[in-house]
Amino acid sequence: MNISKIMRVAAREFASTAMTKGFIIGALVLPAMMALIIPVVLLLSINAQPPADTGKIYILDRSGEVNETVSERLSPEAVEQRWQERAENAKDFAKNILGNNKATESIDQASIVIDTPVFQVIPTAPDVDIEELKEEMRLQVASGTVPADELDNLLAIIEIDADATRKANDEEGFGVYQAFFRPKLNEETIGEIEGSIRWSIREHRYLNAEIDRDEVTELSSVKARESKEITEEGERKESSGISSFVIPFASLMLLLMASMTGGQYLLTTTVEEKSNRVVEVLLSAVSPLELMTGKIIGQMGVGLSLLMVYNFVGIIALITFSMGDLISPLTVILIFIFFLLAYFMFASLMAAIGSAVNDLREAQSLMTPVMLLMMMPYIFFMPVIRAPNSMFSTIVSFIPPISPFIMIMRVASNDPPPTWQIALAILLNMIAVVLFLWIAAKVFRVGLLMFGKPPNFRTLFKWIRMA
Amino acid sequence: MSDTMAVSMNGVRKTFGTKVAVQGIDISIPQGSIYGFIGPNGAGKTTTIRMIMSILFPDHGDLSVLGKKSAIESKDRIGYLPEERGIYKKMKVGSFLKHMGRLKGLDSRGLDKTVKGWLEKIELEGVYKKKCEELSKGMQQKVQFVASVLHDPDLIILDEPFSGLDPVNMRLLRKLIDEQHSSGKTVIFSTHVMYQAEQLCDHIVMIHEGAKVLDDTLDDIRTRFDPRAIHVDPVGGLGMSDQIAQVNGVAHVSPVENALEVVLENNVDPQIAMKTILDAYPMNRIEIKRPTLEDVFIEIVTGGERSADAELLRAELLAGTKMDEEGADS
Repeated sequence: MNISKIMRVAAREFASTAMTKGFIIGALVLPAMMALIIPVVLLLSINAQPPADTGKIYILDRSGEVNETVSERLSPEAVEQRWQERAENAKDFAKNILGNNKATESIDQASIVIDTPVFQVIPTAPDVDIEELKEEMRLQVASGTVPADELDNLLAIIEIDADATRKANDEEGFGVYQAFFRPKLNEETIGEIEGSIRWSIREHRYLNAEIDRDEVTELSSVKARESKEITEEGERKESSGISSFVIPFASLMLLLMASMTGGQYLLTTTVEEKSNRVVEVLLSAVSPLELMTGKIIGQMGVGLSLLMVYNFVGIIALITFSMGDLISPLTVILIFIFFLLAYFMFASLMAAIGSAVNDLREAQSLMTPVMLLMMMPYIFFMPVIRAPNSMFSTIVSFIPPISPFIMIMRVASNDPPPTWQIALAILLNMIAVVLFLWIAAKVFRVGLLMFGKPPNFRTLFKWIRMA
Repeated sequence: MSDTMAVSMNGVRKTFGTKVAVQGIDISIPQGSIYGFIGPNGAGKTTTIRMIMSILFPDHGDLSVLGKKSAIESKDRIGYLPEERGIYKKMKVGSFLKHMGRLKGLDSRGLDKTVKGWLEKIELEGVYKKKCEELSKGMQQKVQFVASVLHDPDLIILDEPFSGLDPVNMRLLRKLIDEQHSSGKTVIFSTHVMYQAEQLCDHIVMIHEGAKVLDDTLDDIRTRFDPRAIHVDPVGGLGMSDQIAQVNGVAHVSPVENALEVVLENNVDPQIAMKTILDAYPMNRIEIKRPTLEDVFIEIVTGGERSADAELLRAELLAGTKMDEEGADS
């Protein structure tokens, strides 16, 4: 093994992959743009609400009790007030999820501009034929123009049964209501109208039954103080959704992405060198093992640079939102260690496959099982993250080559495994890496100069024994 | 093995599955010589060369290269142009050559100058900054030749170096190979076009079906396989074969391309026979037929019999020659 030759191969491998426009744009610029676009899209979706609906609502109230309450409840002032309250509640909810920190300050500062709908409720006589009202709406919709006076715009027709608030008899129960809307109303408008109808009907049912509504509300509301976890160190806030799902998932994705990208490039360049017939020229200068080692190291550089960029961006993002405490330095270090272990195993498989086939198309059939293997961490994500220390999670986190992925999820979860398990996993993976590299080197040596019929797993196995 | 041998092989055998590619080859190639490995396609030339290069390993037998047990230990002293030669398409020619040079253990200092010097030698000064894929196939081949000799190796192994070159470049490459040889380098090259070997080599190793069938200097081969024949082009036209057949010492006459081949009886001196024939009939052209390696090869393979098999083999060899001759300059 000649180290300087290996490093020379590695340098070319890295340069030919990472120093290309395609890579820089695809792997670095695009994600960076995505990261920029997401907040923009969020902002846009908050601000770019559809214009609020304005118009009249016919209430055909056969009970004769409800329409006045509905009119009050849907009056412009009442609607405005309720929408403001709801916005405040949403802020509080966001604060509760994110915790008390800078992020919530920015939420506070963000002026949520709410465009509330304006309704004019028009009660109709109980004996009006609903078909006439429907015809008016049909004509308005057909004409396709909003009436000059926007309040003349017919939004909805509500028909309320006579027995909606008082049972005609005990067997049949309460009557119902039915709403007719013009097409393409905002979801919020429909919710507001239907909600107010139900609220009003309920109001009259309480009145008729002589039940104090406030008392019912009070009785049905059960509040609790904030939940805590009691750990060895003492009490702590129950872990939030973000730390128990997002961080492990992000770690898993980072690891998968970095090791797969490097591995995929390794496959491509190996197949290319082989189909270009440049490989024998190279073999006159370096041994197959030196070539493979150099290539694996070169692509490791590619994976590492991706990992560093994404980690850096991620950590910056967490610190910006004052959530830096969600990820520990140990986790970051372990991400890098497990990346190396996962990458070496994956890269060995890719080098072996790349050397065995004649072109990328042939590689597909051999890639399928490898890809299935790489899907396993995704499939195991939920069971592992729900119970990071269950028997299942513990066992799969020791099985190479998926062990690094599972272990990093466990480490990043809010219930990290004991240190000895992490150490054991690293040890097992190191042994596996040596084994994978050894097998890959054998296939690589034989495969590189084999042209013609694409091999299957049986021939690959023969090569391993042959070399 | 002795130190004066650049390459020596002893009973080397290589099989792929059930197919025997090379069976028990013994070769000793002294330093400073220029050796031609010839034989038809699929004879085992490339396998033999790959074993010399330690790209393949023999199943049996001993091998030593530049005094070492395998080429791995002396890779930087060997220049190799494989038959399956490729190039990094997206790489610039200069970077490719520098990359190869550094892989061959050259220092990066002065490498730039060496590369540019070589590009000048192969008359491709302008391509230093061009991408390899922009070059024509012949240009690429010259660049690949440079990649194999850039590090000033002691042993140069060229597998089918002339295939696909036009006459001008073929002559250029031959000149460059000659230069390497005269500066004391050992050159081994393989070809299935035998006349190329005749032009360059002083020693021929003929391989057929994985076995060495001939291993001799070109001069010895010519003497040993003297066909004892004269080619004549009578002024009276090619129809005069019957008259010429009556001349003393002539065994039989048969038409060949643009001439008549006059085969002499044993113990007749060709020089005297030529004179006798010239005295009898005026000639446009008369010359002693020199054995070509093709003839030698066919004689060895078929045991000197003019059989249907031999004719078939000759036709095959000629077909191979013809294809490559289209670009040849002689």
